[in-house]
Amino acid sequence: MKLRLNKTVATVASGALLLMAVPAIGLASTSGAAVKAKPTYTIGYEGPLSGGNQQLGLNMVFAVQLAINQANATGKLPFKLQLKTYDDQGDPTIAPTQAQAAVHNRNLVALVGPAFSGATAAAEPYYKAAHIATVSPSATRVTLATSGWNNFFRVVADDGVQGPADANYMVKKLGKNSVYVVNDGTAYGSGVASAFATQATSDGATVTTATVPGTSQCQNGTASATQYSAAATQAMASGAKALFYGGYYCDLGLFLGALQSAGYTGAIMSDDGSLSPALIQSTTPASAANGVYLTCACASSTNKTFNSKYQALAHFSAANATYAPESYDATNAIINAMKSLKKITRVGIVNALHRLTWKGMTKVIKFQKNGNIAGSAIYVNQVKNGKIVQLGLE
Amino acid sequence: MGGFGHYLLSHLDTMRREFWFLFVGGVANGFLYGMVAVGYTLVYGVLRLINFAHSEIFMSGGFAGYFVMKAMIGPTVPSGFATVYLIVIGIVVGGVVGAAIATLVERVAYRPLRRRHAPALAYLISAIGASYFLFNLAGKEFGRYSISVPQPYVNHTVFTIFGAPVQLYYLVILIAGVIMFVGLDRIVAKTKLGRGIRAVAQDAETASLMGVNIDRTIAMTFIVGGALGGAAGFLFGLGTGVVFTMGFTPALKAFTAAVLGGIGNLRGAMIGGLLLGVVESLSVVFVQAAYIDVVAFGILVAVLLIRPTGILGERLGRAA
Repeated sequence: MKLRLNKTVATVASGALLLMAVPAIGLASTSGAAVKAKPTYTIGYEGPLSGGNQQLGLNMVFAVQLAINQANATGKLPFKLQLKTYDDQGDPTIAPTQAQAAVHNRNLVALVGPAFSGATAAAEPYYKAAHIATVSPSATRVTLATSGWNNFFRVVADDGVQGPADANYMVKKLGKNSVYVVNDGTAYGSGVASAFATQATSDGATVTTATVPGTSQCQNGTASATQYSAAATQAMASGAKALFYGGYYCDLGLFLGALQSAGYTGAIMSDDGSLSPALIQSTTPASAANGVYLTCACASSTNKTFNSKYQALAHFSAANATYAPESYDATNAIINAMKSLKKITRVGIVNALHRLTWKGMTKVIKFQKNGNIAGSAIYVNQVKNGKIVQLGLE
Repeated sequence: MGGFGHYLLSHLDTMRREFWFLFVGGVANGFLYGMVAVGYTLVYGVLRLINFAHSEIFMSGGFAGYFVMKAMIGPTVPSGFATVYLIVIGIVVGGVVGAAIATLVERVAYRPLRRRHAPALAYLISAIGASYFLFNLAGKEFGRYSISVPQPYVNHTVFTIFGAPVQLYYLVILIAGVIMFVGLDRIVAKTKLGRGIRAVAQDAETASLMGVNIDRTIAMTFIVGGALGGAAGFLFGLGTGVVFTMGFTPALKAFTAAVLGGIGNLRGAMIGGLLLGVVESLSVVFVQAAYIDVVAFGILVAVLLIRPTGILGERLGRAA
């Protein structure tokens, strides 16, 4: 059966449309914004939504969507919000194209992200030129804050905070006076490891450093996984009571297996690159991961309301969704900045974010002049019986 | 000079303390390299071809072993006879799948080229293509992250030599490696198939005139090499987990070992593998782990400068 547009129906329908439109136009011209159709603004998200790091991007994007849905649902805002995602795969070579696409979306007023440091460094010049505020939930490279980008903000502590905080925890709290510090040869891993080593030394610990490059087993490198038995022997030979690993979970997993085989029993700590349930999955045997401390500038959410709403939207648990709480805070920081403005412009949001002080879910969101979060904390977690458990602040 | 003397002495002291520990790990790695190297050498011997897809045969053996272990191992870690049984099953399945993939590669990527008398470069590109196809397919099908293989035993120290503990995992590799090497050596030296392989390696045309079925011999060569490569993949995966790129570096090392021992030379591949594994492992006494590969390839260059045909020389035909 075919639906035909009756002439009468068409007339009535168009008439009704006209009638609906008239009051809005009429009122707008007379008494201001009371019943006026709300304008819709777009908040962007840039991060990995495909490729090997897709899960991290999904963790974030559902939190951004949740914050936007909640803001729209209150009905109190003088505008409506919508989300537009830009998939950079976490790749610095793709990020500029995505940033340009975001910049050319005239309706886009601010952006959550970019997610990765390398991608941020590549994309930020475009956002800066367009005066678009970017609030990253996860980019932790130190130099991002010192590149002169007035529009750059992040709601996590940078790598320069994490390394020293980890060292203090290891030396002062756990009382380890000799530490074997290993890095995986990546910019991220060696950055955290050297910051750790410097602080641990000044805390009075004996520090031995070593580079064990990432393996082809883990995509980040070219070295052979067979190197870890030798590396573990070296760690044992150093006689250190504790080990710090700057790098990512996959290679740490290989190293943990070798350390257990070598008979190493000291404390082991690593950074947020290793903070993933996949660490346990890629450790042979999985029990070798037990007891490992994993630190992160990111919090795992203990907020029940957030967790249940997130689960309903994402269809996976917020408990292991790294950077979901930060993404939620980053989005709400933007929304709060927008609320404080009479007229919403890209540059207005940048300025409003610089003035913002607001208690978010993970921490108080107040930015330093360079865009770094003020007075932030590092969370420490530990693997217990094959599960990652948050112990609290360092 | 005093400074250097001190450097040397302190490192020699570390060497003395750690030697056996590093040696055991190095021998185990060496056996794995050797098992894979044999596959390169056999194929090179009969075809004068570097089978670059061999790394993916290794990888497929690893995944086959993983799936078998996952299917057969329950929540409790097996022990005793069950352990031995599972390891043998894993090696056999890894070997069979490795042999199957090797045969497939030979049929699809090499045999058509041989029929058309393609130039050597075409084989090389075909090999690289097969390699990329296979590992990307594995990445797509099995995920692009490292997966830990369920353990058929609790890894523990079985005995010590000169104070260095020998782990069960290493012992498994050692035993499996010795059986495979001796078995293969006997096959090539004594059986009709072995004579065929050596004959084709020496002079394919004359061999065919003497009644050797060249196609069948080449196919068998791929099967034997693939079986060892697949079994090595299982053993490697047991210790470090499986991932679609797992073949790349070990196979490159194995290729190095094959050249080191003399490519085309069966015993050379085994000796080259062991030598590479042990030297790599011991080198961490003097340099950081980051330089292991530098040492490995430095040795290769040094050996080739002195003996361009490798330690035992080239020919498969002459060797066994």
